[in-house]
Amino acid sequence: MDFDLNEEQQAVLAAVGQLLAQRAGAGRAIELAKKSEYDGELEAALSQSGFLDVALDEEMGFLEAVLVTEAVSAAAGVVSIGAQVLVAPGLLRRNLPGPVAVTTLGHRGPVRFGAHARTLLLDAGDEARWIELDPTKTEPVRSNFGYPMGRIEIDPIAGESLGPGSGATLRNWWRLAIAAEAVGSMGSALDVTVAYVKQRHQFGRAIGSFQAIQHRLAQCAVLREATRWMVYEAAYKGAPADATATVAAYATKAADQIFAETHQLTGAMGFTREHDLHVWSMRLQALRLEAGGIYGHQRAAAQARWLGR
Amino acid sequence: MEFGWTDEDLAFRRELKEFLEQTLPDNWEEMSKDGPGSDVQVEYSKEFCPKLAERGWLTQNWPTEYGGRDASAWRHIILGEEMWRIGDPRSSQYMNVNWVGPTIMKFGTDEQKNQHLPPISRGEAFWCQGFSEPEAGSDLVSLRTLAIRDGGDYVVNGSKIWTSYVNHAQYCFLLVRTDPESKRHKGISVLLTPMNLPGIEVREIPSIVGERYFFEVFFSDVRVPTSCRLGPENEGWNVVTYSLAFERVGAPRYARAALVLDELADLARERGMLEDSRLLGKLGEARSLCEASRLLTYRVIDLREKGQPPSADTNLARVAGTMAERAVSELAFEIFGPEALEYGHSAEAHYRLAMTAGVAVGTTEVNLNLIANRFLGLPKE
Repeated sequence: MDFDLNEEQQAVLAAVGQLLAQRAGAGRAIELAKKSEYDGELEAALSQSGFLDVALDEEMGFLEAVLVTEAVSAAAGVVSIGAQVLVAPGLLRRNLPGPVAVTTLGHRGPVRFGAHARTLLLDAGDEARWIELDPTKTEPVRSNFGYPMGRIEIDPIAGESLGPGSGATLRNWWRLAIAAEAVGSMGSALDVTVAYVKQRHQFGRAIGSFQAIQHRLAQCAVLREATRWMVYEAAYKGAPADATATVAAYATKAADQIFAETHQLTGAMGFTREHDLHVWSMRLQALRLEAGGIYGHQRAAAQARWLGR
Repeated sequence: MEFGWTDEDLAFRRELKEFLEQTLPDNWEEMSKDGPGSDVQVEYSKEFCPKLAERGWLTQNWPTEYGGRDASAWRHIILGEEMWRIGDPRSSQYMNVNWVGPTIMKFGTDEQKNQHLPPISRGEAFWCQGFSEPEAGSDLVSLRTLAIRDGGDYVVNGSKIWTSYVNHAQYCFLLVRTDPESKRHKGISVLLTPMNLPGIEVREIPSIVGERYFFEVFFSDVRVPTSCRLGPENEGWNVVTYSLAFERVGAPRYARAALVLDELADLARERGMLEDSRLLGKLGEARSLCEASRLLTYRVIDLREKGQPPSADTNLARVAGTMAERAVSELAFEIFGPEALEYGHSAEAHYRLAMTAGVAVGTTEVNLNLIANRFLGLPKE
């Protein structure tokens, strides 16, 4: 057991942090969102520096991949980071160029990166399918929820079946990716909220000095820190069904609470597009609805633990 | 970063489980229903702890010079998990190993170490913690119990409350104010007070939590030799802070919560209740809360193993532990329904233990204050 980053992990985080500081951030996410665009330039830069290949790198692995996913999410990068860095390598043992979308057969409503994706990883129940998307079968959908969204017309027999049981493998990695992305977004949503309550004065003092506010943010900190360690452990273990469903259950519930609290505590300002909070908070809600949502993950966690499925 | 156990640690856990299976009496579950402070459990610990000590397991994470084996803090949490999950057959002796001993190692004189550490590592010592007072609960620094120097003694007057395990204690880790003019953190000292001194009176406070759970202790002109003082006079707050950091994660409550949860799920399956998808979801949620608590606690153990100072991670872990226990105890009620109304029923016993989690060892509110100040950097109110 060792909860500290080793030198290599620190180096990866420092390097990706530097890249993200130059090429990502809330401001860029807001600009791209105006036209519902995907950040192809950021993806290219991440790819060029090798950050999209860490999972299958001989020297690194999935723990490093969740660190990269968390960092890109914390910087509000508009790339399909979880699908590319965790789901594809976990499921296919290879990397895929983005954008990559992941969804379930029978899914209703828009899919993250659905209008831009070149590849779809489909949870078709027992099996997973790897589908090269025909651009005429996708269309953009207007959405407030932080990611470019699109509708995909799914042909259930398109693409390649990854074999019996591959559906479960896909779900495991997908849940881990959702939780890892949520960790990054939760962290930044909390950071901007903590900064806000420190500088916002009412009744002659910073509102962050009121215990009523402190306790709620402290609760959020517990949720976020716990999610982070659970994500790292699940990645270290190679995304087994119980650990991934458990962390997804925890992360999505935490995401919902952190959404509510950060918006409550930033008041009307937090609802504006002028303030950065929405960049991360709205993403939290998109993440919590994916792959079966909170209750789906909770049931899956119980099934994995006690029903052996 | 890595999250695997060493082969040695895995082997130790296996050996420990086997030992427990062979050693614990068949009616252990019945024996443990009143909690670690009950007469039955205290008596049993006198037989049980020396057996742990014989195997070198009781204080294995202590340095060899104090009767330990220099084992990692991870070994100690494995022991704690396996003990606490079954209702801790060490009784109050778990505290000795967790924080009483380590605090004496850190701040004690050679004489104090020689006097107190060997009995702890042999499994023969019974301690209690004299912290809370009627007017000093969450606001511990407002404590008033006075200790005035008179020759080679302190003369102690005052009272302590909610003192668990005092009925069997040989010593009290007693917080007193040695400077009567002082306020708050200053002027506090720690006295390692023998409980057989004249002038100490103990009264049980009957409670709904269990038998022999809460006590009041009254000190009337109790003469405690100054040689019993742990650390410098009037500087006892540092000692307390150090001990609290160990104590807050001392009892791995998630381990018991997770075990109870497994039992609940088995029972729910036998009764065909897992068809209810809402209940299934609640079980999964409770499981996630137990795991969250486990990992936040492991973070604290990791820091301890690396010799790093206590941090707000301890408070995060404590809050998460309380959440996990509550969720599991709620589920126990939900699954057992009115069966849980009978005293000693497993759901009832767990509920009783769980309901104190947010109050014992510093309330949830105090932990949240500390997280806000130290972890988030928010200004004090």
